[in-house]
Amino acid sequence: MSTNKLYTLDRDQLDQVLGLWNEKSTVYVPVGKGKDINLTPLGEGVRTEDYINLTLPVKEMVFEQKEALFSWKRREEGIEVKGLSKQHAKNRILYGIRACDTYGIDYKDRFFQREFPDPNYKSRRPENTIIAVNCLRAGEHCFCTSIGTGVFSTVGYDLSFTPFDSFFLVEVGTIKGQALINDAESFFTETDERLLKDKNDLREAVEESFPLKMDLSNLWDDMAKTFNADFWVDEANACIGCTGCTNVCPTCTCFNVVEEKVDQNEGKRVRYWDSCQSEHFTRNAEYHNPRDAISRVRYRIYDKLKYIEERFGHKGCSGCGRCTDVCPTYISIIDIMRAMRKAATENPEPPAVHQTTEIRHIIKDRELKNRHGLYTPDVATITGIKQETPEIKRIFMKYDDPELHKNYEHKGQFFQLTVFGKGEIPLSIPFGPGQSDELVFDFKDVGSVTDVLFDMKVKDKVGLRGPYGHAYPYNSLKGRNLIFIGSGVAMAPLRTVIEPVIKNTEDFKKIFILGSALRYEKLIYKEEMVEWSKIPNFNVKYAFKDPTDKVDAIQGHVNDLLPDLDVDWSNTTALICASPERIRKVAGDLLDLGLRSKDILVTLETHMRCGAGKCGHCKVGSHYMCVDGPVFNYEEMLALPPEF
Amino acid sequence: MNDISDAEFIMVIGSNTTEQHPLASTRIFEALEKGAELYVVDPRKIRLTDFAHAHAPIEPGTNLPMINAMIHVIIKEGLVDEEFIKNRTENYEEMKKSVEDCTPEWAESISRVKADMIRQFARKYATTDKAMILFTMGVTQQTTGVKSIRALANLAMITGHVGRPSTGINPLRGQNNVQGAGDMGALPDFLPGYQRPEWPETKERFNKVWGDFSCLRGRNIIEMFDLMEEGKMKVAYIVGENPVLSDPDQIHTLKCLEKLPFLVVQDIFLTETAKFADVVLPAGSFLEREGTYTNTDRRVQMIHKVIEPLGDAKPDWEIMTEIMKRIGMDVDYQSPSDIMDEINEATEIYGGISHDRIQEVGIQWPCPDKEHPGTPILHVDEFKRGKGLFTVNDFEFIGDQRSEEYPFLVTTGRVTHQYHTGTMTRKVWTLALEYPEGFVEIHTKDAEELGVKNHQPIRITSARGSIVAPAMVTNRINEKTLFVPFHFAESPANRLTGRNLDPIINIPALKVSAVRIEVE
Repeated sequence: MSTNKLYTLDRDQLDQVLGLWNEKSTVYVPVGKGKDINLTPLGEGVRTEDYINLTLPVKEMVFEQKEALFSWKRREEGIEVKGLSKQHAKNRILYGIRACDTYGIDYKDRFFQREFPDPNYKSRRPENTIIAVNCLRAGEHCFCTSIGTGVFSTVGYDLSFTPFDSFFLVEVGTIKGQALINDAESFFTETDERLLKDKNDLREAVEESFPLKMDLSNLWDDMAKTFNADFWVDEANACIGCTGCTNVCPTCTCFNVVEEKVDQNEGKRVRYWDSCQSEHFTRNAEYHNPRDAISRVRYRIYDKLKYIEERFGHKGCSGCGRCTDVCPTYISIIDIMRAMRKAATENPEPPAVHQTTEIRHIIKDRELKNRHGLYTPDVATITGIKQETPEIKRIFMKYDDPELHKNYEHKGQFFQLTVFGKGEIPLSIPFGPGQSDELVFDFKDVGSVTDVLFDMKVKDKVGLRGPYGHAYPYNSLKGRNLIFIGSGVAMAPLRTVIEPVIKNTEDFKKIFILGSALRYEKLIYKEEMVEWSKIPNFNVKYAFKDPTDKVDAIQGHVNDLLPDLDVDWSNTTALICASPERIRKVAGDLLDLGLRSKDILVTLETHMRCGAGKCGHCKVGSHYMCVDGPVFNYEEMLALPPEF
Repeated sequence: MNDISDAEFIMVIGSNTTEQHPLASTRIFEALEKGAELYVVDPRKIRLTDFAHAHAPIEPGTNLPMINAMIHVIIKEGLVDEEFIKNRTENYEEMKKSVEDCTPEWAESISRVKADMIRQFARKYATTDKAMILFTMGVTQQTTGVKSIRALANLAMITGHVGRPSTGINPLRGQNNVQGAGDMGALPDFLPGYQRPEWPETKERFNKVWGDFSCLRGRNIIEMFDLMEEGKMKVAYIVGENPVLSDPDQIHTLKCLEKLPFLVVQDIFLTETAKFADVVLPAGSFLEREGTYTNTDRRVQMIHKVIEPLGDAKPDWEIMTEIMKRIGMDVDYQSPSDIMDEINEATEIYGGISHDRIQEVGIQWPCPDKEHPGTPILHVDEFKRGKGLFTVNDFEFIGDQRSEEYPFLVTTGRVTHQYHTGTMTRKVWTLALEYPEGFVEIHTKDAEELGVKNHQPIRITSARGSIVAPAMVTNRINEKTLFVPFHFAESPANRLTGRNLDPIINIPALKVSAVRIEVE
């Protein structure tokens, strides 16, 4: 940006310039008093220059608190869906943004516009022009200089204004910014780099005046040594889950979706800001919640100070201090950083593996080939239904647009299935790449969406997005012994591998399929397993808690089957799908038997919502289960914080 | 509210402040940061107890013995403020005599708070200069509600903890405008401004404003429902209240509403109560109207319309004005500020509070004239009645107690993310998700004894009725004590509560009901 042009603007002429810009766009300026400062359309209030910061970050202009994702309508010939991503009537010029918030914008540009780009953000972002006005004084909880995101804006702006006594030094950040200058050319005087030295002096003086200065050079070290420190208990006890902190955060991006119905035949899916500080954020069906009060409060702090930076290379905290300002029970990220320092110095824990691990997943840019954008499902029709067990059904479907089947690449591990008007759930793909004109899923009736799906009939319509996630690495399994371990419905994700293995049995050595459940009736693929047992190098074994006379089974856990497997453990891969607790037990036994942790593959399907690493619900440490997983090897699983 | 932050000692009794008054509790946290000590009296280990210096796990319904015992200790140990008692109060000797036998050991036998802990509470309260008491419905919704409040007043007066900053006994109001509603005479025995209808000057004052009118004591809600049952009350007009969930003994409430010949309900949503109505008048929400709310610290504050009323909804004042016109009254209010002008005339406490004065910052009543700055602290030099009157408040058991048939006591309350009967909060998905359903808090030991697992549905039954809700097994509640939130229509806590009333003002004892548990 340093090669861009520099200008000066008389402070007296600012209002004229804003007025001029307001003719083509809507100019938003800071209005209000004290701590109540809002970006308000020009003319709807008295513009103020006497403010520390905006009450709410500029985030809400580009990522709205509530946004429609798509609409759907039942018609005679089917269901019509429409992606809803373009909404603003007029371009916006946002004047008076502080460095912490332009940093937040820069991070959001990175977060929303890469990997699976977010269609709503992508369409809205160019409509907004950001004009930074650099701060000359700090608020009580400002700590951007300690984090390194301020005090003057360095990224995320189109124009940056630095106030001097009688003029602004105006720096151009982007072509969009230059275009604004050109629109009001007569007011701006081009200048040279000599003023940059004055700006630098001013910056140093402002930095010097900051009441809060922290040395954060040891922060990540401290965090590794204080993951279980006592002070977290106090923080957790204090948090009432009001979610104020995440609502005012410039870098919080999590959302949840809800269905807004007009009637039975028409509705919209909308997304709202959601908060990791609410209890329901990671709550699964049947009260299971991988995060307790302590890990909830701790997660926000680790995400802001570490996980975001680990993954995206951007600071996750912009140092604006709003979360501390707003907390009704005085939870302060500043005090917590100090508490970490203190505990790490006085009473350090052995560094937590999941905080020091080098394991990082490669972030890939991916785009889905669906018709109406990332969040909009394509319509499919149910073509067949099979009752697997009293609680489990297999459902067959075809896209209404047969072309979509051609796009199907067997790369992912799961689809997002929509029951229109009810909601969306992730479902594993139980069949291999042979699914060229039909998709098949198995599901258990456990929640409100599956409740409806369970009662659906042939010819009913559903929506599909996907496939998402990383699948099992099929090719690297060739030439090895394979052990498939799945309990109950959890056998479904493993079938994505079992199917191609059956078609190419000569590529593999011994194959073991270990089915387990409480009772035989609860197992899926009962008939298939009998068929598989007839394939030459296949062995099918069963373990049930209750005895059965239907198949030859042992009474007990799946672990009990392992010691008797006649197999060369050094050339064996185990594929497990079960609850994290069960995985740990099985993997522990397998390690004892001589398997390497890299050769244990697990699938962690925890709380996936959007499927694209955007909504934040399945984030564990710096990883998104939906994008980086759900398939991991056991070594990688152990490198995750124990919060899934 | 700033007074809370400056207190050196705070006793919270019968108030789950952090969850029900998060902003008031922020002030408690401020005080704690500055080194204040926090003492909590509650049958549950509410969130505040994690930060408290002492927690008295009291038996529901027994605040009065504990307070009287604290007074006993303070007198016995010579910790009273004699100067204050002499100059500012009367009837001290009689009160003193009445607590002579209220030893901490006696109180322990009833309230199950250890005698030494009661002494600790008493000494700390009496010997700290800026000591304040915060309370809510955990004190008032008992058969001894009024006596307990009077006893707290005794406690504050013997120690001189009244009329100075960061002292006093401070009720935290349960709704944003419950103070305002009371101020405006939404009480059976007062006209606006706490003017008794039987006082001659009241009649005189209101005659000037309203002309001649009938001026008799009205009925409270409990009495009104009784009259419905007896068939004497023919018409009810319920505004912004959902008695089907909020009133005690739901089965009785439902019976009365069914029997009532004509019911009008005015609310922003179709509440459980509105389903019984012959006429439903759709009201505008706080976002759709102008007016004032009076906060817990008597501060009259403006609210501003953000959007025009949706659909057929109208602000409450407009609906009522229209009804007044239709029944032939001569009214002509053009705006809420016209109504405030009338309030200025009709009451002394709001005498000088006009809309133009409170556009930016509210004013605390009493504010008798336009020049008056408002009154942050009451009772500074003098109590309203002149001298502070010590009262005698002997404890006796009235209402539900544990028995063989009903071995548990259930107390009711709220959770952070739901508000009252859920009329609004249960419609907000994010709040609804946080607490999607009711529950029954039960102590781990009791659960083990009954073989109840966490989240297992259990049935609890009182002499009035029965509900089913999942158990929440916890050690954060007293043994043999249960807690049920009253927000949830599917498991309405008030189907259990009875019409055990405080004999003085008939407030129902919602916080104490005897129940038994059946495992489903």
